Amino acid sequence: MKIGMLMLRHPATRISPIMPAVVQMLRNWGCEVDIIYPEENVTPLSQVRAKHDLYILKSGTELALSLAGALHAVGARILNPYRVAATMRDKIASMRVLEAAGVPVPETYITSNARQLAGLLDAGPLVLKPYRGSQGRGIHVIWDADELDDVSAGEGPVFAQRYHKPEGEDRKIYVIGEQMFGVRRIFPAKTYEEKIGQPFTIDEELRDIALRCSRAFGVELFGFDVIISKGRPYVVDIQSFPGFKGVPDAALRLADYVYSVGQRAMNGEPIPGMAAPAQGKAVAS
Amino acid sequence: MRAVVIGAGRIGCGLAGQLLRASGHEVTFITRSCDVVKNLRHNGSYHVLLTSETECRIVTVDGIKAIATSDEAAAITAVTRADLIVTAVCSQNLPAIAPLIAQALSRRETPANVIAFENMPSVGECLRRLVSSEMTQPWQVDRHGFSGAVISRMVTRRVGHPAQQTPLMFVGESVEEFIVDRTALRAPLPKIRGMKLVDEYQPCVLHKLYTFSAGHATAAYLGWLKGYHYIHTAIHDPEIRKAVFNAMAEGQRGLAAKFGQEFACSRAELEAIITRFENANLNDPIVRVARDPHRKLAADERLVGAGRLAEAAGVMPQQLALVAAAALCFSHSGNGQPCTACFEQSQTTEALNEICGLDAAHGFGRIVAKSWAQLAPSLLPGNLLLSLRQRLWARV
Repeated sequence: MKIGMLMLRHPATRISPIMPAVVQMLRNWGCEVDIIYPEENVTPLSQVRAKHDLYILKSGTELALSLAGALHAVGARILNPYRVAATMRDKIASMRVLEAAGVPVPETYITSNARQLAGLLDAGPLVLKPYRGSQGRGIHVIWDADELDDVSAGEGPVFAQRYHKPEGEDRKIYVIGEQMFGVRRIFPAKTYEEKIGQPFTIDEELRDIALRCSRAFGVELFGFDVIISKGRPYVVDIQSFPGFKGVPDAALRLADYVYSVGQRAMNGEPIPGMAAPAQGKAVAS
Repeated sequence: MRAVVIGAGRIGCGLAGQLLRASGHEVTFITRSCDVVKNLRHNGSYHVLLTSETECRIVTVDGIKAIATSDEAAAITAVTRADLIVTAVCSQNLPAIAPLIAQALSRRETPANVIAFENMPSVGECLRRLVSSEMTQPWQVDRHGFSGAVISRMVTRRVGHPAQQTPLMFVGESVEEFIVDRTALRAPLPKIRGMKLVDEYQPCVLHKLYTFSAGHATAAYLGWLKGYHYIHTAIHDPEIRKAVFNAMAEGQRGLAAKFGQEFACSRAELEAIITRFENANLNDPIVRVARDPHRKLAADERLVGAGRLAEAAGVMPQQLALVAAAALCFSHSGNGQPCTACFEQSQTTEALNEICGLDAAHGFGRIVAKSWAQLAPSLLPGNLLLSLRQRLWARV
């Protein structure tokens, strides 16, 4: 099995043991795993080919996502598929998908100029987020219209959600295949220990939300953030292929899942989020 | 020597046929799959990919013939002419092939030997009775030898579709040894590469079942509970690895007490078995190993049989009880997805009695029932056992 992993190289100081362990296990099981760092290469676009049975889109960078799009265009099979990863990256699109699937999300607004949100503040504070942001960066809670001036300088869409004061720690739900895991952690988690958090039991309501998310996007490898406010859960973000920190035996479970999807890809069967190719697997160049 | 192999699947082709051809015998496969017959006839050969953790080599098995069971006259003629009849059809299918063997043996004037390559206790005697019951003169069966075979090699899959014209390939381990009951065969004894003839056959059968098969089943049923897809991935889970070792170790206590220490494995030998489960080249899906749980939960089978033997030796087999409970929870729908537990908890007593021959109120049956009662209520689609030790689920 040939697997291409689109990755981002992290600084040596950052503790991220899961993906290296996944790669090592897949190699031990006979997989040929190529790590692709899009940022470190000059890639001739005309030579982008589906050379692997399966690509893993782990990196969250814009270049990696676009390269996944190029691979998708030439028939590559990608976990998660480009269409899904691109939608999840875009909070505007992903929140609408979730809302349409019956997932509880905060009231969400988009505009081109943050000042236009002033009227909404009468009903309570808003949270402004970069619409393609991640890891809690660039988030502002806006209580007063004057504060909108400070966040309106940026270009591109403005993404705002009604602020619901969280009760307790944030909840992170991870889904790997048919399995789901709950991790409670403080926000924003900064240290590795904080990111590992504490496991918690997923109740019926969260389980139903996870299943709705999975069905809405057609994938089974993702994570989402939930806040509980006044006893109600709100999904405030969703990520394709997150870090899975805090999941017991995360590397082994991920490797097992990737291997099983790779087998399906090699057999020309559908993989999550993608139908089977018309003529078996993608042709290697 | 002429040999027929009834069943052209993993064991028939991936073990029996390969070793018979390597021993210089004429081999004819008889199978109900017309596609397989066409493929074998078209190519006159197939391949076996023999793997270990360190090497892979492909062996081509050629010079073979194939007949479909639907071609009844040809099948009977082939079996009648054979000096050795091998079956590899899965034990539940033996009743379906007994009439064919019975008709063929009735026509023979000289003894033949039948070796059943089925992982089941007393399978030789079982097949002999089935064949006898199909004969107009049942005493004729006594002219012929019937033995099971204790197989070491795992053959996990077939690569390629029979309807295509390319030769089929079977993927398995390279180990060749298999054990046959010398006392159950008739002269002249067949000579087959890897065959070891023994006079004390039954302990060998139970040794295999209560050691390797018990460990394999442990990896499968606990791996399924913990959400893994393959034996070689589940065995890397520290809890499962430990459970596999402990389940096999419990079985060894019973084997040693009943048959002597020479029929029990050392710690190093158990570790070597676990290493075989790590072989990713076998690519063995958990649902394949776990299938047919009711047969594998029978009173003399790998889990309950091993547990009862350990109990008789004064050991309370807690690990085997948990695995038996996990097997009871296992069911596998057609699309490969786990679904709810096989039984409602209220049916525990009846199910344990009917499937396992156990009394839910006493001894080993009691701890199986207790483990099942802990597992079953939390087992729902998509649910996940996070910890075997703590019975910690992703959702309770």
